Amino acid sequence: MNLPKVAVLTMEGTNNEEEAFQSWRGAGANAEIIHIKKLENKIRKLEEFDAIFFPGGFSAGDYVRAGAIMASRLRATVMRDIENFVDAGKLIMGSCNGFQVLIELGLIPNIGGDYEREAALATNLSNRFEARTVYLKITNNTCPFLRKFRINQIIRLPIAHFEGRFIPANEDLLEEISNNNMIGLKYVDPYGKEVGYPWNPNGSVLNIAGVCSKSGNVLGLMPHPERVFNKYTQSDWPRGNEEDYGQLFFKGAVDYLNEKF
Amino acid sequence: MTDSFKVIKLRELSLGQLKKISRDLALGLSVQEMARIQSYFKNLGRDPTDVELQAIGQAWSEHCGYKSSKIYLKKYIFGLNSEKIYSQGDAGVVLLDDEYAVALKMESHNHPSAIEPYGGASTGVGGILRDILSMGAQPVAVTDVLYFGIRKYKNYPSPEFIKSGVISGIRDYGNRVGIPTVSGGIYYSDMFSPNVLVNVGCVGILKKDKIAKQSIDKKGIKLIIAGGKTGRDGIHGVNMASANLDSGSANLSTVQLGNPIIKEPLIHAVLEANESGLIYSLKDLGGGGLSSVVGEMLYAGGMGGVVYLDKVPLKENDMLPWEIWISESQERMLLGVEEKNVRQVLEIMNDWDVTSAVIGESVEGSKLTLYYKGEVVMDLDLDFVTSPPLYQRANRITYKEYKFDIPKERENYDGILLKMLSDPNIASKEYAVRQYDHTVRGNTVIPPFTGIIGKEGPSDASVIKINWENYTAISIAHGSNPFYSQIDPYMGARNAVDEAYRNLVSANSIPIAFSDCLNSGNPERPERMGEFISMIKGLSDEARELGVPFVSGNVSLYNETGLKSIPSIPTILAVGKLKDYRKAITPDFKGVGNPIYLIGKPEIEFGGSLYFRIQRKNGGRVPYSNPKVLYDRSERVLKAMDLGLVLSSHDVSEGGLALAIAEMTIGSDIGAEIDLTGLTFGRPDFFMFSESQSMFIVEIQKGKENEFEREMGGSSIKLGYTGGQILNIKLNGRTLINLYNDQIRSKWKEGYT
Repeated sequence: MNLPKVAVLTMEGTNNEEEAFQSWRGAGANAEIIHIKKLENKIRKLEEFDAIFFPGGFSAGDYVRAGAIMASRLRATVMRDIENFVDAGKLIMGSCNGFQVLIELGLIPNIGGDYEREAALATNLSNRFEARTVYLKITNNTCPFLRKFRINQIIRLPIAHFEGRFIPANEDLLEEISNNNMIGLKYVDPYGKEVGYPWNPNGSVLNIAGVCSKSGNVLGLMPHPERVFNKYTQSDWPRGNEEDYGQLFFKGAVDYLNEKF
Repeated sequence: MTDSFKVIKLRELSLGQLKKISRDLALGLSVQEMARIQSYFKNLGRDPTDVELQAIGQAWSEHCGYKSSKIYLKKYIFGLNSEKIYSQGDAGVVLLDDEYAVALKMESHNHPSAIEPYGGASTGVGGILRDILSMGAQPVAVTDVLYFGIRKYKNYPSPEFIKSGVISGIRDYGNRVGIPTVSGGIYYSDMFSPNVLVNVGCVGILKKDKIAKQSIDKKGIKLIIAGGKTGRDGIHGVNMASANLDSGSANLSTVQLGNPIIKEPLIHAVLEANESGLIYSLKDLGGGGLSSVVGEMLYAGGMGGVVYLDKVPLKENDMLPWEIWISESQERMLLGVEEKNVRQVLEIMNDWDVTSAVIGESVEGSKLTLYYKGEVVMDLDLDFVTSPPLYQRANRITYKEYKFDIPKERENYDGILLKMLSDPNIASKEYAVRQYDHTVRGNTVIPPFTGIIGKEGPSDASVIKINWENYTAISIAHGSNPFYSQIDPYMGARNAVDEAYRNLVSANSIPIAFSDCLNSGNPERPERMGEFISMIKGLSDEARELGVPFVSGNVSLYNETGLKSIPSIPTILAVGKLKDYRKAITPDFKGVGNPIYLIGKPEIEFGGSLYFRIQRKNGGRVPYSNPKVLYDRSERVLKAMDLGLVLSSHDVSEGGLALAIAEMTIGSDIGAEIDLTGLTFGRPDFFMFSESQSMFIVEIQKGKENEFEREMGGSSIKLGYTGGQILNIKLNGRTLINLYNDQIRSKWKEGYT
């Protein structure tokens, strides 16, 4: 059987590629870390792959705006390939800085369908970097990355970011996102209630932690499933947390790719 | 001849003029040292260039040359338990198993952080990462122990400014470079106004057969500089770090500028080249820049070399040869590469968008010759440059009378415990540590805070898994207590080792290596030097018995201003090993109705203790660590953990067993019923708050008391049981402490929401 091929994209300042690579591999994919230079120079092509992962970190230092430089480099060179990739129903996921890149690329939410930038991940309302574990509620399980979860299931994942407050450019867009069932995960308290800070670590509207594309094959989220592939890197495992939440994202995606391609 | 360099007519100068030259060129050398250089050039029959004098000034600085400390380090630290060391270089390496090894080092960045806290702290992190990388190791964890002042002194930056700069510097560098910051500590005391201490550590993992060597022992090895370009930032940094801090604003140009976004791909590129076997030797550019690293790499292998300074990639094109040679610009590595591999190495660098250039090569002999645009600007014997004078400075060990003011006994100690919990030295450091990414790389098994999400309490050690294939992990912890060291530098040092060791044991890991970062004042003052020597002896006496080597370290002297000096304080970075990280143990209580035991026995020794400090009383002599006792108890605790008897464990340190138990309720929201009846014959407060060394509090599986007590061989005392919403400590029916878990947690977390 041919394993699904996954490109974990990297450039200077991205820094979750190793655990993303390991997570995809652990889930049964044939993963490869690809420097975006190789795409720009046409040494490698996105069409070779079945899924793309945008890792977290600080691409190009985030000195302009989180994710902006990585996105503009890709936009200038391989945007058409990315669009074809999405149209073919292949999978794209970005976590943390990767989510920021997806937004800068216009892949999320892409309500207008023309890959314009329609949202932002703004500075946390607490005005500081937040590194801790959060509770999340799964609000959509048609997206392949979320298919192994139950609707309303409460899970735990680590976050570590300074710019994670999701805000669409206008109210209409927010309504479209809700109406199209594009909200994938929401920040909640341990009982599943949406209560704001500190359980919502950044002040995202509607406590949004992750957003899927309309067709569901693109997912961007602030938390880091790739850091908790097995439960022993989940911060509260010594208290008897027995579930491996992180790997379900990748296993869901790999199952989907195996069925479809 | 161009005007890019100058010949200094040194041979004809008087002593007074030599002193002036040292000052004018900012060499930081004494008159005697200048005279030694003068006679060297008289023998050569020529005068030196400015490049040559600057090169010697770097190599002979206290920072690079360890002039005041080396004799004592050799006597007490080097060689100690050295059969357990795998390799030593820019960092120390010990084996983990047949395949993997761990590299570690802790280092100070005190002087730059006192002048420019953000840049000083961030480049401290950058520098320590490079030390680990130099061994061919993947950095897996950054740590930092910080010592902040309280009072503001005139002409020096405020402690608040220093603190926020240092924390942001560590945050921005560590987070951006993508290595988790997982362990450390923050101390507050007026001892550190205005001399802040910033001690940063790093731990890395490598395959033992891929270890990089740091010397060149054959000719024709090409020297490649890779990473950041060379600029005018950080010139004379080592000289600044080798002198008293005379005012807070001077010498900004001596502080380097960090750029983690150059470092991040540099780490990938260097490790890729090393993994492919393309690197002959590897070293990082830190203090002294090219001048130290090229000299050390060649000298260590008995080679000479040539370097073409005009081949070094520059930030500013008009830099003079001496500036290029001693610049401490960040994010640079020096690679020795065999000629046949040069092209491939440069290609790897280019693939990662890393700047690199061949700048010279090794040659037979012991001379290092520098060229700039075709002219020889330095031609020196490495024997001379790399052998600074070593000093056995005058020292005086003073024995103090210890004062012991007995505090009054109280009916109830709720107020005392709450005051301890909110003391800035004890209270949660989440305001800083939660700004550091501690889960990046996905290997963090035990983070700095553990327990129920949103209620986490402190961990004793952080645990990092080393790969995705098996269950092997390393544990990381620190030891340091400036309050003990201030009273007794010898015992302070011993207790620092004790603390680091028991922190690792508490997490169910076996201690395997220490790194020591030694901070002190002006070594030219006999009482400072006496303290410094006492500290080193303390470390040596303690670690020898424990069988753990010091694999690396650094010395930072002159942490002194005209106003005052810091005491001699060691920061110990300790690394342990877990064969199976699924057996790691955390301090938060795990269940209800489980027996709680104290391992060890509290004595009346309160010097520097939190209990006496918060009441502003003198506590007499500091606690005395006995490494034999520590070793025996640790072996027993580890055995009980291995048998699965132990559910949670916390070491007893500041605030004694009462505070330790209080901390175990924080992350668990499980209280405890403690009854001291029959256990304490003297005052109960002395029992509860004693900081006697080598003690642990453990929670045991229900019904396993007999088995556990047997394993402990008489060193355990049963204190009570877990459970409920309250921490209750009583004696003969009288309540000493009665506090809700929530009260304890909210007091400890005060200031962080």
